[in-house]
Order: sequence, then C-alpha cells, then structure tokens
Amino acid sequence: MNGLVVRGKTARTILWVLLAAVTVLYGFPFVYLLLTSFKTPLETIAVPATVFGSEFTLENYVSALGREGVVASFINSTVTAVLSTVISLVLAVPAAYAITRYRTPGGQVFILVALVCRMVPAIVVGVPLVSLFRDLGIADTSFALAIAHTTLSLPLSIWLMTSFFDAVPDELDEAAKIDGCSRLGALRRVVLPVVSGGVAVTAIFAFLASWNEFLFSLLLTAVRAQTTPIVIANFQTQFGLDWGSMTALAALYSIPVVLLTLVLQRHIVAGLTLGAVKG
Amino acid sequence: MMLPAVAFLAVFVGWPLVQFVRDSFYAIEPFGGGREFIGFANYSAALASDAFTGAAWRTLVYTVIVVSLEFTLGLAVALLFSALGDKSRIFRTIFMYPLMIAPVVAGLLWRFLLIDNFGILNELLRRVGILQTTDQIQWLSNPDIALFSVALPDIWLTTSFITLILFAGLQNVPGELLEAARIDGARYTTILSRIILPLLRPVIAVALIIRGIDAARAFDIILIQTNGGPQGSTETLSLLVYRTLVRFGDPGLASAMGTMYLLGMLLVAVVAVYAIWRPGSDRS
Repeated sequence: MNGLVVRGKTARTILWVLLAAVTVLYGFPFVYLLLTSFKTPLETIAVPATVFGSEFTLENYVSALGREGVVASFINSTVTAVLSTVISLVLAVPAAYAITRYRTPGGQVFILVALVCRMVPAIVVGVPLVSLFRDLGIADTSFALAIAHTTLSLPLSIWLMTSFFDAVPDELDEAAKIDGCSRLGALRRVVLPVVSGGVAVTAIFAFLASWNEFLFSLLLTAVRAQTTPIVIANFQTQFGLDWGSMTALAALYSIPVVLLTLVLQRHIVAGLTLGAVKG
Repeated sequence: MMLPAVAFLAVFVGWPLVQFVRDSFYAIEPFGGGREFIGFANYSAALASDAFTGAAWRTLVYTVIVVSLEFTLGLAVALLFSALGDKSRIFRTIFMYPLMIAPVVAGLLWRFLLIDNFGILNELLRRVGILQTTDQIQWLSNPDIALFSVALPDIWLTTSFITLILFAGLQNVPGELLEAARIDGARYTTILSRIILPLLRPVIAVALIIRGIDAARAFDIILIQTNGGPQGSTETLSLLVYRTLVRFGDPGLASAMGTMYLLGMLLVAVVAVYAIWRPGSDRS
C-alpha cells in the first residue's frame, strides 16, 4: 500500500468511526426509500415521519405494478437499453480498434469530436430527432429511442474501448496476421477475447446510460415505447400523494442496477477510473 | 472501421445540431410550420429576456454548488479511504450504489425526504433539536434556498464518482515522496496542498470537467423536484429551453437559447481544460 495509509492505532479508530458515520449518512436516503416502500400507504405520509414502519407489507408493490402501463414500461426500458447497448458496442468496438491500430490524425480528431458530442445538451439533439423519426415512420418505438440513447453512450463507449485496446500490444495482432488472420479475423479471434473484460465494462455503462435516461425518453415516446422513468415522473402529477407506490416503483427500477453493481463492481471501478487516471 | 460510428454520430448528433442551429435564425410557427428568416432576432430577444439571463445565472450557480460540494466531499472521502487502506473496500462498494441510480429516482426520493411536513429530514433535524417544528425549513418551496435543495440529489448521486476517481488517482501517488515529506516534519495539510493535490491535477481536471458538463445539463433531477418553481427559482437553462419549446411552442427562440447554452458550455469547457489541466505544460 502507499504512503497515505495512516498507521497510528487511535488515529485509525477515529477514522473508521468517521468513515462509518459518513457511510450511514450516505446510504440513508436509499435505505429509507426501501423501508418506506414496505410501509402501509398511510404510514408513508404519517406526521411525524418515522424511519421504521409498524408493519411490513407488499401492498405498495402490488398497487404500483397494477397501474396501467407500469409492466409495459419495464419491458420497454429493458428492450431499449439492450438494443442501445448492442448498437453502441457494434459501432464503438471497430471504431476504437481502428483508432488504436491505425493512429491516423482522423482518428485523433474523431476522439475529440466524440468528447464534444458528450457536451451537447440532450434537448438540442432531441427535438430535431423527433421530426426525423416521424419522417422515418419509427416515432414512438423502442428502436428509435435506442438510437437516441446511443448518441449518449457511443462517445463514452469509444473512449472506454480505445483505452482497453491501447493496453493490448500491437504484436498480438501482428502474430495473428502472420498466422493467416485478416485484420478483422485478428480482432475477432485474438484481440477481442483479450479485452472481453473491457467490453463488459463498456456494455454496463451503455446499458446504464439508457436505463437511467430521461429527456430523450420524454421527447421521443408517447404511449407505446414509454420507459419507466417517464412513468415515475407522470405518477407524481397524476397521483400526487401516492408516495407508497412511487417508492415501490423506484425501488423495483433500481434492482437490476444494484445487482449489476454488486456482481461487476470491480469492473465498474475500472471503467470509471480508467480514462481519468491515465490523464 | 471508424466509418459506421462516424456516420452514426454525423446523422444522429451532427445533423440534428445543424437543424437546431439553423432554426435559431427563423421565426417558426409551432403548428403548420410556417417559417421566416429573421437573422439574430431570436438571439436578441433571448438576451433581452429576464427568463434567459436568470436561467443562465441559475445554471452557473447550480453547477458551482454541485461541483464544489462534490469535490470537497469526494476528496475528503477519498482521503479517508486511502488512509484506511485496503480494508475499506466494503465501504467503497456501498459508496457506489447511488451512482447507478436513475436521476429521476434520486430526484423523487429527495423530494420525498425534503417535503415540509412529513419529510424525514426535517423530522430528524427536529428530533436532534436543530429545528423546533418540521416546517421551519421549506427546502423546496422557499425560493431563496430551493436552488440549493434541488442540487442535493445531484450531489448525493455523484459524489461517489469524484471519490472513486480521486481514490484511484491517490493510489498512484508515490509513497516515498510522502514518506520523505513526513520525515522532514511536514504537516498533513502541507503535504496535501503541496504534494498530493498538484500530483492529482490531471485527475482532478477530468473529474471536474465531466461533472461540470453534466451538472450544467441537469434536467430530470430538477424537473421532478420542483419543475422549475417556486417562482422560477430553480429554472435552469435545460428547463427553460424545454418549456420554451414544448409549453410555449416557440422553436425559433428555444433554438437560439439552446445554441447559446451549448456555446457557453463549450467555451467554459475549453477554458477549464486549459486552465486546470494544461495538457503538455509540465508533464508528458
């Protein structure tokens, strides 16, 4: 370990207590959301507010899932996120491979352009996309929404994949070529298996970007392709006081994400810190 | 092999962007689509309106609140993690969860926590004796503090991003350097400001720029908590452009506002890259 580690015993104890306190505070909002979702609807808005409910009930979950469009929206969110992840990977992997292997000025410029794409507010791109998708006859479909979400995840995917390919020595491709592989063959048979962890990271981030996205989903969907974040937002205006169902739905929507984090946490940290630490 | 990705971004980002900027020079009827070229009239109208200048100002304040609080908290926790070494791993995992949660969910959750009478935050503050009654602080309905309150979920969601990035950066700080400074009798604060922070500068720059851009684009988090209210006190540029377009049906004006918003962000980002990062100036 490095020289930042504190060694004094008392000092360490104090720091552990401090860290525990910070963690409890930091974790509290989400734990409170979970606790609330199992309270009775009346208890969720009780005055004074309580941390723990008096009884454990699944009532909120049943009523949230029973609302019109909620189950369909989960399906839409899943379909959209999976589609967007696939499109993003199919486009980003070869692009990043080309950027790292050919090293043309065009590739370097493209990486910067991708960064600029990340700065564009969704509203700026979203509005013209509405009319484009209408003209193409794919308005209000998960496919159209997945394309819009890919505009967000593609730049990041290219950046991540570029870093992962950078870590693989060129000699590996050369060796594959000597053994009779084409460029694409080398990528598919030799290089991709080596960076499979990186592909997983990139896929997670693309999935999350789509799963959590709101503004495009709001602009580009009406009824058929509506995703859960939009349903959650509408919930609020239509059933102003039904906090029980809202917390239940919010908790349900977070399950896949929490599971992903749990299973792939090492990879996620790698992805988050990769570009940054290399500076 | 780059071509498909290039083509995709050109069609689905580049082309819409061009459309959007072009629209800013037209007066456009929302329905029926009658349009007339009016040059920079939309721009002068936007600049002359209090709504636009106010929203620009609020976007800036919001971004500064979010980024500065996140950076301070994030750095503190990252140092805490480093001080405790590998055994803090479980805590690092817990810290990652908010990062994965949808902003809409976070906005909703914090609205619920902050609500005046049955929100748990004021109730807890009352129990520990800081507040007398639970409606003493009206987080989301007092225009003077609402902009700060709507920033809370954003800070909660992404402080961990800064923490993780800075923590990773801290792992690369050479231990001998710190050891040497400590033997020379340097205080922790001196080591922090003279050695650690300068070494971390590229990492800090990346973290601040990414978070700054995202905070300046915040939309869902604010929409779901206050929808821009009370009295417009949380209406940032994203919300204003959205409402100008969708509610008030003025695509020309909205496009002019959006274009200036985008240019402003690009400008700040470029300045930030050169001011904090200084690529190539002292290292590499």
